[in-house]
Amino acid sequence: MKVALINGSPKAADSASAVILKYLQPLLEQAGHEVVGFSFTKPQLGSEVAAGLSACDVLIFALPLYVDGLPSHVASCLQELEKRRAELKTETRVYAVVNCGFHEGHHARWALRMLRNWCARVGLRWGFGIGFGGGGALSAVSNIPLGAGPTKNLAQALRELVENLTAHSEREDVFTSANIPRRWYKLAAEVGWLMAARANGVRLRDLSKGRG
Amino acid sequence: MRLIIHDLDSGSLERLGSGQPAEVHVISPDSGPIHHCLGCFGCWVKTPGACVIADSYSGLGELFSRCSEVDIITRCLYGGYSPFVKNVLDRSISYMQPFFTIKDGEMRHKRRYHNRVRLRVIFYGDITPEEEETARGFAQANAVNLGWELASVSFYRDLAGVEGWVL
Repeated sequence: MKVALINGSPKAADSASAVILKYLQPLLEQAGHEVVGFSFTKPQLGSEVAAGLSACDVLIFALPLYVDGLPSHVASCLQELEKRRAELKTETRVYAVVNCGFHEGHHARWALRMLRNWCARVGLRWGFGIGFGGGGALSAVSNIPLGAGPTKNLAQALRELVENLTAHSEREDVFTSANIPRRWYKLAAEVGWLMAARANGVRLRDLSKGRG
Repeated sequence: MRLIIHDLDSGSLERLGSGQPAEVHVISPDSGPIHHCLGCFGCWVKTPGACVIADSYSGLGELFSRCSEVDIITRCLYGGYSPFVKNVLDRSISYMQPFFTIKDGEMRHKRRYHNRVRLRVIFYGDITPEEEETARGFAQANAVNLGWELASVSFYRDLAGVEGWVL
């Protein structure tokens, strides 16, 4: 099948969504699927993207969780695709991996529901979604082979996605997290904030202060 | 202060009976073009408490800190907010600190401000039962995440139903 990998991060580089798709692509190719990459970095879809998606049998979104839901620019693009739904194949199946900065993957449940509701509006078939917690760790571990260290749970979820897609089946959404104890993840993330602030010349005590 | 965030056409809010009293601050598409969040976290580690994107929406975190009531009026899109309203929320994460806390067994961001806020959300449009269920859960998740109280979530098929609610 022809599979569209859609990166929904607004970041041109170094996004957790890109890492997830980098892990997913070889699994799909090993299963005999043809993979085409797309990016939703802006609120406008672009006619080439819409035309490219219309040639695919499967859409897989990888995107970050923004304030419990879809990033606004992704919502805009989905709305545009809904208007152009006649161009999409009616049997197109949709999957999604929503990563969030919190350790628990279930924070992504409402964003996945929105994608499922979008499928219903557009007339596409919802396969299932993966809510992945601890997404902030992915950029740091992107050189680790999938399945090793913190990516063990992600590997299992992505393999289930490929098996499901290949078998044309559907299932309930899956919620999982990076294989890092939550207290370590929290500590590492907070050290990361402090280092980034220092690199920007920001006083560390200002990170938690209010304005006004 | 009461804040109304909406996606209505110019003049619609006034026609619905709100007017614009001194103690109500309104954010709408009339507030100016809004750039989408770039996920850069500059609002946490470069200019803490303010978004680094130079448009009319860079100070939303501080604005939220001065609110006691926040009302969201939005077209329901797949069970979420319309792109404009969601963009306002996406651009407001400077309201929180980058640091984490564990609350009720879940990871959350620590609050930068400690004002008490009552959140009311009104969704309008042609809404399926699945979208309504999603919207209720999503609004509740927003309230929990921001440390606010969710006072109500309402659904209306068209704007006529919103009249009287706004006041």
